[in-house]
Amino acid sequence: MTAAAAAAQPSASALEVTGLRVRYGGVTAVRGASLRVERGEVLALIGETGSGKSSLALAAARLLPPSAEVTGQIRIAGQDLAALPPRELRKRRASLVGYIAQDAMAALNPVQPAGRQIGELFRVHRAMPRAAAAAQATAELSRVRIDRPGLVARRFPHQLSGGMRQRVMIAMAVAMAPPLLIADEPTTALDVSTQAEILALATGLREETGAGILWITHDMGVVAELADSVAVMYAGRIVEQGPVHGLFDHPCHPYTEGLLRTRRDLRAGRPGELLYQIEGSPPVPTATTGQAGCPFAPRCPRRTQACDEQEPALAAVAPGRLAACHHASVPPAAPGTTRRPSGAPGPAARHGQEATR
Amino acid sequence: MARTLIRRVALGLIAVLGVAVLAFLAEFVVPGDPARAIAPRAQSAAVLQNIRVQLHLNQPLIVQFADYFASLFHGNLGTSYVQRQSVASLIAPRLVTTGWLALAGVVAEIILGGALGLVATLYPRVRAAVTAVNLTLLALPQFVVGLVLLLVFGFRLHMAPVTGGAGPAEIILPALTLGLVGAPWYAQIVADQMADSLSSAYVRTAVAKGLSDRYILRRHVLRNVLSPALTMIGMDLGAYLSGVVTVEVVFGWPGIGLLAVESLQNLDRPVVMGTVIVGAVAVVFFNLLADLVRMYVDPRTREEPA
Repeated sequence: MTAAAAAAQPSASALEVTGLRVRYGGVTAVRGASLRVERGEVLALIGETGSGKSSLALAAARLLPPSAEVTGQIRIAGQDLAALPPRELRKRRASLVGYIAQDAMAALNPVQPAGRQIGELFRVHRAMPRAAAAAQATAELSRVRIDRPGLVARRFPHQLSGGMRQRVMIAMAVAMAPPLLIADEPTTALDVSTQAEILALATGLREETGAGILWITHDMGVVAELADSVAVMYAGRIVEQGPVHGLFDHPCHPYTEGLLRTRRDLRAGRPGELLYQIEGSPPVPTATTGQAGCPFAPRCPRRTQACDEQEPALAAVAPGRLAACHHASVPPAAPGTTRRPSGAPGPAARHGQEATR
Repeated sequence: MARTLIRRVALGLIAVLGVAVLAFLAEFVVPGDPARAIAPRAQSAAVLQNIRVQLHLNQPLIVQFADYFASLFHGNLGTSYVQRQSVASLIAPRLVTTGWLALAGVVAEIILGGALGLVATLYPRVRAAVTAVNLTLLALPQFVVGLVLLLVFGFRLHMAPVTGGAGPAEIILPALTLGLVGAPWYAQIVADQMADSLSSAYVRTAVAKGLSDRYILRRHVLRNVLSPALTMIGMDLGAYLSGVVTVEVVFGWPGIGLLAVESLQNLDRPVVMGTVIVGAVAVVFFNLLADLVRMYVDPRTREEPA
């Protein structure tokens, strides 16, 4: 669309994270995480609270405070953000990555009308005059399916509903047409029907813009609805990654299996029956610093001596399937033959990843 | 919006009336005979009685009360016992004089306090020093600060006049006194609000949008800091206009505070009442004004209270 967007390599993955580590003081939040989001793909990043999801997302968007220590490589559309001088980073970041925060109420400036906050992007980065930027902001609002964009543009954040605020946030994130969107639990604070609308909007925008989306959530329903592939995070590392159907049908990592069982129980459970829960709790980040062995071992049903001695690396278990486990279960050869867990055709079906449906 | 305004004005008038009633009653508790204050050398009781009759001081309290408030409702503040001219004409020029000092004082507070707050926020290394300065200023009474300034800059360095009076040169030290004493409050508000704002999610959003630090400070942070500071400015303007007695006495600034003190000593009741009422109106007016400006700056405060 513009020079900035053209400068990014059109062929490169939307996001490529290699060996990312994030430390706050003595606490390591992310311990060598690697993942890749392709153009037009939705990668769901799931994991319990404190697993490092948000740190990874913020690090990828280079939004962590300077006090956070970030190492490893992050490439957005082939561009290493860390290699850009500050001025250049400022100029290009909005056209490289759009960030959608969880709490849109807090993430929007309370004293500025919604339209102005979107129009600001065009004023600053496209040097548009005030009126043109305002008109463009209204256009962006209708793009995120807001009915009366002119009216909403003049509203202040506190005058909008939660769903509306999140749409404004999304409009802001996609305004500069970045190849990557990072959404940090954007539907968690919304009611179920609004949540569904936002998910539909995200799916639509993905198809419209061809951007890759890193969608952080802990809601398996959202994952099934939206994602093409899933990365599971535990204690600051990616422990399993794969296409959504294969992973849902046949998780390789015992932690993923546990997570999915909690959900399966919810759907199939009879009243009065106890829900499955994974024994124990995730380690606090300070405990995993400099410790040998698999951090999931204390909670793991497959634990052996090897688990205590060496932390398993993320490795291919089957084609397209990665797991970090000494005892990863191997999925059957034809992963597409079983039914989708959610029952409904997901967005991935349209992308031909489900060949044998 | 309009309803809020009407409600606030009505409440303000009630407050002013309440202050006036209390002040009126308080003056009759104060011992002393205005007639004696007016004619201290009068020997004959007849002369004193004559004065009392003239000023209606011989009438029962309830009648005096009714008379005073009846004329007050007609906008008449009465006549000075001592100076033989209308209270309004005595107060008006004093109000202007005090107005200048109040304005200069608030400007000094904003500049000094704002600077301290900004420095504390943007340069963490000097934060402890700023806190120490704040605490020191908070602990010092107004008259001490005033006297020290007067001694150092007036008597020692001869940089400022020491003779009293109202003029552009004379205003510097009293305004600086108000500024120094008020600065820590502003510094605290600015530092707190800046810290809140800078660590807020909306500033993170602004960073994600690729805006420069200066732009973010100007467009996203400042306005959020301004809103609570405005309330403080309104309160200070009102309070100072109702008379900065200590500062006016120390520097001989012929404002409304000095007038109030003189009138109290002379038992010049109508003038004392006048200064109290004008002060109350000033407090109510500037608080209201501050809230109105705040509504303009911060849309969240515009909503009508439920």
